Amino acid sequence: MAILIRSWKGSFVGAVRNPSKPHKAFVGALPGLARIAKLCFFMIRLENVSKMYGSDLPAVRDASFDVAKGDFVFLVGPSGSGKSTLLRLMNRQERPERGNVWVAGRNINEMANSQIPYLRRTMGNVFQDYKLLPNKTVFENVAFALEVIGKPKHIIGQQVPQVLDLVGLSGKEDRFPHQLSGGEQQRVSIARAFVNRPLILLADEPTGNLDPATGEGIMALLDAINRTGTTIVMATHDHRVVNAMRRRVIQLDRGVIVRDQERGVYE
Amino acid sequence: MIQRISYAFRETIASFRRNMTLSVAAVITSAVSLLLVGTTFLIQRAFDNLLVQWRGDVGMIVFVRPDASADALAFIKQNLESQPNVIDVKKLTYLDKAKSFEEAKRVFVGDPTTLSLLSIETIPSQFKVVPKTTDPTLVRSLADQYRTLPGVTGVSLAEDEFDVISTLSSFVRTVTIGMSLVLLAVAVILIWNTIRTAIFARRREIEVMKLVGATDWFIRIPFIMEGLIQGLAGALVSCGGLWGLNRAWTSGVAGFKAGTGVSSLVVPSGYVSGVMVALLIIGAVAGGVGSGVASSKFLDV
Repeated sequence: MAILIRSWKGSFVGAVRNPSKPHKAFVGALPGLARIAKLCFFMIRLENVSKMYGSDLPAVRDASFDVAKGDFVFLVGPSGSGKSTLLRLMNRQERPERGNVWVAGRNINEMANSQIPYLRRTMGNVFQDYKLLPNKTVFENVAFALEVIGKPKHIIGQQVPQVLDLVGLSGKEDRFPHQLSGGEQQRVSIARAFVNRPLILLADEPTGNLDPATGEGIMALLDAINRTGTTIVMATHDHRVVNAMRRRVIQLDRGVIVRDQERGVYE
Repeated sequence: MIQRISYAFRETIASFRRNMTLSVAAVITSAVSLLLVGTTFLIQRAFDNLLVQWRGDVGMIVFVRPDASADALAFIKQNLESQPNVIDVKKLTYLDKAKSFEEAKRVFVGDPTTLSLLSIETIPSQFKVVPKTTDPTLVRSLADQYRTLPGVTGVSLAEDEFDVISTLSSFVRTVTIGMSLVLLAVAVILIWNTIRTAIFARRREIEVMKLVGATDWFIRIPFIMEGLIQGLAGALVSCGGLWGLNRAWTSGVAGFKAGTGVSSLVVPSGYVSGVMVALLIIGAVAGGVGSGVASSKFLDV
C-alpha cells in the first residue's frame, strides 16, 4: 500500500514536470489510477532521462521507455552508445541530470541515499568481468551477497546450494575463481546476483568475455531465470545472442534510443 | 545481530593483518604522542605540588602560630587590610589549620617524614596575600614588618621560593603540549592513511557489497573499528610507558634529601591512573575520528 501511495504522489509530480507531453499531463490529471496500474505493471520506467559526463555530448539523451514485469530486454549498440550508463541509472550508481527513473513503483532519483541499499537488494547485477572476490571460494562468493545484507546463517546454508544447483555448479563450491573457466565464473556471478531472488537482473555484457558456445549456455541460464518471473535488462553488442533469443531490443546510438522493437534482432 | 558483530570483528582483524606494517607504525606513533601527552600532565601536576601554595598570584604568605589567640589573629588581619595600596584586600584569603593541613599533604607528597610531623593541631594557619604593587622592595619591606607582629611565625615571599621553577614549569608545559599536539596530529593522519590503504585493498569487495545492497554503516564499521583499535592499542602502550616512567621518577626523587623541595615533585598514583584513563579515551577518540573521516571520504557511500 505504501508503495502505491508513493507512486501516486510521484506520478502527479512527474506529470507536472512534463507539461510538454500532453498525454502525460492527461494521465496525471486523472486521479493517478491509470498510472498506478501502469507502475504496478511496469518494473522499470524511464521518463525523458538525460545523463551527461562532464560537458561533452550527453551519454544518454532524452531516453523514455517502460520495461514490464517479467520482460527480457536487450540494450544494443556500439561501445559508448550509453548502454552501460542506462544500466547504471537503473540501480542508481548514476543519477540523471534530467528526467525520472522509476523502479518497482518508486522514483529512485528522489530516494534518500539511505534507502539505496534496500533498492539494490531488489536487483541483481552481472558484469562482463564477473567481479568475483578472488580470495573467496564459489560458495563464499555467493554467500557474501546474503551475508552483507544480514541474512542468518541457516538461510545462507539453505539458499546458496540451491542457487549453485540452479546455475549448474554443484560440486564446485570449494573452488576458487581462478580454478574455474570463464563460463563457470560467470555462472558464479549470476548465482550471486540471483541468490536473493531479485525482481530485476541487470546484466552488462555478460557474454562479452566468453566464446560463443559458453555464451549460449549463459543465455540459456538467463532465460531460465527470466522464466521464474525475474525481469532482465541486458546490455550487449553480441549479434548472435540477440538474434537467437528474439526478445525486445532497444537500440542506442550515441546516447539516443533509435529503435525499440518487440522480438527484435540486432541490425 | 550477533552475526553482524562477529562479521565486523573478523573483518577488522583480517584488515589489521593485511596492513601489518602501517598498522604498527600508526600504533607506535599514537603511543609516543600519547606518552608525551601523559608526561605533560604528570610534569604539570608535579610542578603544581610545588606551586600549590602560591596559586592565584599569591605573592606573600603570612604564617600564624597554631596557638595564636583570636585577638592576635584579628590584629594581623586588620593590619593586612589597612594596606589597600600595597595589598589587594579583596583577594586576601585565610587558610585555617584544617585547610592548611590539606595543602601540606600536597606540598609534602614525596616527603612522608615531614608530613608525619605535622597535624591539624600543630600546623600554622596562613594568610595568602596578593600584592597590588609590582615593586618587589615594597612587598619585601611589608614582609619584614609582619615578621615582628605577635602570633606570626614567619613570612614567605613568592619570589624567593619559586621564580625559577615557575618559569621552568611554564616553559616545559608549552614545549611538551606543543610537541604532543603535533605528534597526536601525526598519529591521526597515520591512522587515516592506514584506513585509506585498507579501503583501497578491499575496493573490489566494497564495490560488490554496495551493489548487493549492504548498508553504508555495515561497510564502514569494520574500518572505523580498525582505527579505534589502533588508537586504543597506542594508548595502552603509552599507559605502560607512563607507569614505568613515573615509577622510575618516584624512586629517583626519593633519593633526594628531605626538605629540598624536590620531594614535592612526586605524583600520587591515583592521579597517574586518572591520566591513563584520559590517554585511553584520547587514543580511542583520535583513532575513531581518523578512521571515521577516512571511511566517509574514501568509501564514497
